[in-house]
Amino acid sequence: MQNDEAKALQLCFSCVITLVIAAAVVIASFAYLPLGPGRLFSREAGGEMLEFFLSFFPPDLSAGHVRKTAWAAVETLAVSAVGTLLAAVGGLLLCLPASGRYGWAPRALARGLLNLLRSVPELVWAALMVLAAGLGPFAGVLALGLHTTGVLGRLFAEALENTPKEPAAALLGVGASPALAFVYGTLPGVAPQLLAYTLYRWEMNIRMAAILGFVGAGGLGQMLYYELSLFHQAQAATVIGAMLLLSVAVDAASAVARRGLARAYA
Amino acid sequence: MGFRLQRLGLVHANGLRALAGVTLAARRGERIAVIGPSGAGKTTLLRLLGTAVRPSEGRVEVLESNPWQLSGGALRRLRTRIGTVHQAPPLPARQRVITAVLAGRLGTWPWWKSLLSLAYPADIAGACAQLARLDLADRLFDRCDRLSGGQLQRVGIARVLYQQPELILADEPVSAMDPALADLAIQQLIAEATGRGVTLIASLHAVDLALRWFPRIVGLRAGEVAFDLPPVRITDALLRDLYASESATLPTQGGEPLRLPQPGAEVAVRRPACQ
Repeated sequence: MQNDEAKALQLCFSCVITLVIAAAVVIASFAYLPLGPGRLFSREAGGEMLEFFLSFFPPDLSAGHVRKTAWAAVETLAVSAVGTLLAAVGGLLLCLPASGRYGWAPRALARGLLNLLRSVPELVWAALMVLAAGLGPFAGVLALGLHTTGVLGRLFAEALENTPKEPAAALLGVGASPALAFVYGTLPGVAPQLLAYTLYRWEMNIRMAAILGFVGAGGLGQMLYYELSLFHQAQAATVIGAMLLLSVAVDAASAVARRGLARAYA
Repeated sequence: MGFRLQRLGLVHANGLRALAGVTLAARRGERIAVIGPSGAGKTTLLRLLGTAVRPSEGRVEVLESNPWQLSGGALRRLRTRIGTVHQAPPLPARQRVITAVLAGRLGTWPWWKSLLSLAYPADIAGACAQLARLDLADRLFDRCDRLSGGQLQRVGIARVLYQQPELILADEPVSAMDPALADLAIQQLIAEATGRGVTLIASLHAVDLALRWFPRIVGLRAGEVAFDLPPVRITDALLRDLYASESATLPTQGGEPLRLPQPGAEVAVRRPACQ
């Protein structure tokens, strides 16, 4: 009993310490940044915010600008599609060694490579690829492809490890080549999972592709960065609107696709 | 020659001994039933013959070659000539029955044919004919996870019949079927053996099934051959001794009391029509 009470007290003590530290960090941050809470929430600041917000309206809906924005949206969509496709292929290739099919050494090597690809964020990859491949959508494709390969390869490898090995082993027993035993024995079990992971990452990559342009990797992001740097708020508003529309459309499309997949695999 | 095992022994990686000093040979076209209590080594014996595991001691010779002296390619060619019926057929749940049956020839088809067959089945008539022998032609395009355990076992048998191997290894092939279907399935395996000169070795849990259909019975106990006799020479005492460790009554189909040998009936390959 006494032990329990002592534990409860200890727990409470640690809550208090956490709260004190959190409060200290917030106060220290305000002090460190030249930004007083008084100024942030003052009437003056509110007026400035409203003014800034209103400067985006009305958006530039002239035919020429809308057409330009639409093309940039298509470019964003294309960058995400090609990047995800490359990642699916790369992930499929790397998941084979990463799932331990060829022994522990290739498994460790492949896992290490996947970890490296995954732990560098898309934006960092994009900045690197802009340096390597030049400005434009190709850098975006490479950036998405590299990061997503790391994510998908890891997910695919886990799906493979959790699928029964007997069907493929039985096919090796009738003299099938390892590749065919994989296609006939293992793939039917994991294909729906692989497809679902890929579609999910594509959905995320469409949103990410819209942002990648900020470091020069094409699409809506690059356009937004360009307009904002020139203080063309009205034009930027159109681009932001296109990003919102794209996001909503992707959500709706993926909901439909999910329902279709659920039916096909029920 | 079907196969020849000489003083074969196998110790599993965990140190358990599965087989010891097994010497057994089969001529081409012979039909052998292996019986014995659970854990006697029946499955291990079949896995050794199927080149799925390597013996710890002794010699294996299957279809005139020693599988463990072959190159990778030659071993694969040898395996295309060996068909295994698994007790729990290892079929992917989402695969269609026809694909599962056609997969029996993956070892002999060229790779492009195997891949194209995924898009459009390469030999619908052939797969249907083998399923029809087992009364399952109507499930040709069903998914495997829609089938019962007994139906899956019949798909597994149809795959091996479609494979057309020279040696059939059947590991409790009818354990999930009712007696009538079990008889039908065993008959078709026997018919395949007599009709095409295929060597057949089947492990069976139901003793009556073994005695009814097989001219040669091998009793396996604790990893060793206890007897190797034709059914007419098998006595009640031999069987009770074989199953002494397991139970007082002998395992039979549906638990019916065992009636000792009756001459094997004539069997023929069934050729029902396919649509």
